[in-house]
Amino acid sequence: MISARRPLLLAVLLTVACRAGPPGLPAPAAPELPTPGAAPSDTACRIAPGPASKRDTVAVALAEPIDPTHAPSPRNDAERFVFAALYETLIRLDCAGRVLPGLAQSWEAGGDRWTFTLRDDARFWDGAPVTARDVVAAWRARDSAFAQSATVLSDRMIGVRPPAAPFQPLADPALAVTKRAPGGDWPIGTGSHWVSETDAAGVLSAVPVRRGALPVLRVATVPAGRTRDAVDEGSDLVITGDPAVLEYAATRPGFVDVALDWNRTYVLLAPGHPDGLADIRRESLRDAVHLDARPAEWSGGRFWLADLQACGFPTTRDTAVSAPRRQRVVYDQSDRNAADLAARLVGLGTLGNRSAATGLAPAVFAAALRAGGDAAYVLPLRRRVFDVCRAALELPPWSWTGTVEPLLDVRPHALVRRGLPPLQVDWDGTPRISPR
Amino acid sequence: MTFRTRILVGFGVIVLVPLALFGVRVRTEMASRLTAEYEGRVAALAAVIRADLTRDGAAIARRLNALTDAIAADNRFRAAVLQGSDRTYLLDYAGGAMHFAGLSMLQIQDDQGRIVSSGHFRNEYDRLEPGLPRALAAAQGGIALIQTRTPEGPVLAIARLDSLRLAGRRFTLVGGIALDSTYLAELTPDSELSVVVRLPTDSLPAATSAGAVLSEVSLPFVLESDSGSALRPARIVVSHSLGSLTALRRGVDVAFLAAVLLAGTIALLLGGWLSLRISRPLTALARKTAQIDMDRLNVSFDSERADEIGALTRLLGSMTERLRAGAAKLREAERRIAMGDLARQVNHDIKNGLTPIRNVFRHFTETAATEPDRLTTVFRERQGTVEASISYLENLAGNYARLYPAPAREPCDVRQVIRETLGRLGATGTPDLRADLAEDLPLVCTDQLVLRRILENLIGNAVDSLEARPGTVTISAMAGAPANGRLGVRIIVADTGKGMTRTELDRAFDDFYSTKPGGTGLGLSIVRRLVLDANGVLRVETQPGAGSRFIVDLPGA
Repeated sequence: MISARRPLLLAVLLTVACRAGPPGLPAPAAPELPTPGAAPSDTACRIAPGPASKRDTVAVALAEPIDPTHAPSPRNDAERFVFAALYETLIRLDCAGRVLPGLAQSWEAGGDRWTFTLRDDARFWDGAPVTARDVVAAWRARDSAFAQSATVLSDRMIGVRPPAAPFQPLADPALAVTKRAPGGDWPIGTGSHWVSETDAAGVLSAVPVRRGALPVLRVATVPAGRTRDAVDEGSDLVITGDPAVLEYAATRPGFVDVALDWNRTYVLLAPGHPDGLADIRRESLRDAVHLDARPAEWSGGRFWLADLQACGFPTTRDTAVSAPRRQRVVYDQSDRNAADLAARLVGLGTLGNRSAATGLAPAVFAAALRAGGDAAYVLPLRRRVFDVCRAALELPPWSWTGTVEPLLDVRPHALVRRGLPPLQVDWDGTPRISPR
Repeated sequence: MTFRTRILVGFGVIVLVPLALFGVRVRTEMASRLTAEYEGRVAALAAVIRADLTRDGAAIARRLNALTDAIAADNRFRAAVLQGSDRTYLLDYAGGAMHFAGLSMLQIQDDQGRIVSSGHFRNEYDRLEPGLPRALAAAQGGIALIQTRTPEGPVLAIARLDSLRLAGRRFTLVGGIALDSTYLAELTPDSELSVVVRLPTDSLPAATSAGAVLSEVSLPFVLESDSGSALRPARIVVSHSLGSLTALRRGVDVAFLAAVLLAGTIALLLGGWLSLRISRPLTALARKTAQIDMDRLNVSFDSERADEIGALTRLLGSMTERLRAGAAKLREAERRIAMGDLARQVNHDIKNGLTPIRNVFRHFTETAATEPDRLTTVFRERQGTVEASISYLENLAGNYARLYPAPAREPCDVRQVIRETLGRLGATGTPDLRADLAEDLPLVCTDQLVLRRILENLIGNAVDSLEARPGTVTISAMAGAPANGRLGVRIIVADTGKGMTRTELDRAFDDFYSTKPGGTGLGLSIVRRLVLDANGVLRVETQPGAGSRFIVDLPGA
């Protein structure tokens, strides 16, 4: 259902979306419910490398691992791409921050709540229709604040009390509607594709739910050193940030290099406020990584993690400050850019000349980060979030009052083979295959 | 200390002292030789390390020289370092070059000492380290040990310096190979040898030679982060643990201890056996000798041994024989003296009683001869004297009679008295006493003391009749023939001794008759009197050379 006040709401949406930098995201004090944004013919967020040819299969090469247990909340660019094809939220935001229908085909504001009406043909992969109860159950399973504010009005209608935060979190992949798959790795979603198999080589096949509308996605995860091989071995879409790969792809006329959004910021997190934190010389950090990067930029005066006063988190108690710290800069050893940045910080003597960089296995790093027993941590965070308080809850409590130094913004590139069906880019820079 | 203990101690000393001296000598010799061996190995390894350092230094020099040639020919590098283009290529250059050259560290600095590319620490670019090339240039032989930084921490490397000129600017290359645990492990052929690096910055105390054999290789050291970057000596310490020597010593000690225990045990067993062989006959001889006293001289000291103990045994036997003869003579003399004294006392006492009577009769005789009419008067006058003397004699007889008090007559258990008597005699070492006592014997009416004296005399005579030869003395008790309606008891003391001839049997119960040397000759006469006093009967059955049987029948109580 499209409201008559659409032009006004669109203007408000665009204003809000621009607040956090390009493409800019809003943080209105009194959120309003916008009407659906982009028209089908809008090409602002569209990647169309040349005339599209008919394709039944699109080979995708991703440089990062995909873990089904993370679904539907992605933790890297690869998972973001795959999960976007498998799962849906009530609404979507395109790269311009415009609201698009998702599982909800229409919505309206009335009284003290928003009312969302689900798409008539919304179904899970197993054919079961998606009901309002399924939506609320999925939200509740992830302990969402929205689940508490949601009311089931009918099988297809959901009432949501508007929160103080903006409405955009409804497009957060964490609020995608899923249900548990008995005996399966992948939660059952409502997206355009479903996972049919993962072969012995680790290549994942995502088959469109409605045959003919979309191509089959064959998604391969390639090691960092073999991304160029993927380009040469027939991949149609490669998502990578490796400059060497981009440089090589530039020599291949069959590919178009599309820079996606600056979607992640590498930060230095330090428990407490260490003395003598030397100048990190942010402008020199770009040379330290092998990625399309720039010195971190943010709007509003402070990086979102350093601006949590409105969240009501404790500000005087810092349980990790008093503990003795190991003089090391810790990073996830599977993240080469974090390793490069940690090494650069050690080289700069940011934490003193006796500090060292230490890479930890992902699970160990997560535990170390929770404990906060080291001098500093280097890790990527989402560059923009709709709800900073909810995003901050994903980090250890000591980080709310610790030192946050944004280091670099990074972005992936999509190497798209010419003739590929057009791609739509979401608000977080995630490309997705558009229907033919 | 007993003779046996002395033998045991002597054996212990003889066995253990040489063993102890041997063990100490073995330990000392072993320690000396092994320590010398270890010193040789340590010195050899130190020489190998010196040679390796020289060889590695030369290899590093060759690789750096090749790198300078490659850099000079690399236009992309030249453009990056001189014009600032292609920064990523420049920063990654040293990493690739380091790996291709087989180095562990590579640092390229510009003419200001600024790091333009680093292989071991890519992201230390732009840091100023001018002191490091200066210090390396001053190192003797151009090689030094440096402690350089990596993201993960400091590492040690054997490094050299090289340089090249690009567009008039001098660029220095510091390259080296890591002196890490792998490098050190390859130097040590076995676990006994260890190689450690001691830096001047180490806070640990210097290693001492206690517990290890040491040798050192010295080489100049540069601390990269040190602002002055002065050369100071570092040491590569080669040590050989004395653990194997300690283990060997422990093994020898255990073996030695086992040998000592084994030898000591054998010595003790041998000494014990030997001392037992020596001391056992001596102990038996001492026990026999302890039995000898004046009342028991019938101990035999026979021995067939031809050694000193046999001679001593025979000597003791001869001495005992002489003692036995002397004792008999002494008892005879005592008996004679006692009998003489008694006779003199009896003679004196009787004379004392008879003298007044004799005087009265002499007076009577004289009166009858001279004054017959007064004889009656004199008789009356002297009658008291006679009566007094008679009374004195009667008292005297009574007194002598009281020397042998009258036995009591009371029910007496023959079995118990026999057992007590045998027990007492057996306790004094009398051999071969056997008892055959019937059950349910009736009591006899006599004094227990009397019965005991009867038994002691008969058993003593029977034992004496054996004359220290093998034989047996058997005391039997059984129900006897009834008398006065009551069952009596028959006691038989039988021996396998020499027996008695007919003459000896006829006089056997006479006072003062004895066939034994030193015998009083009163034993059997007393026995006969005691048996008669108990209203019993004493009989003898004897056969010369075969033994005697003394049969006592006592009436029941």
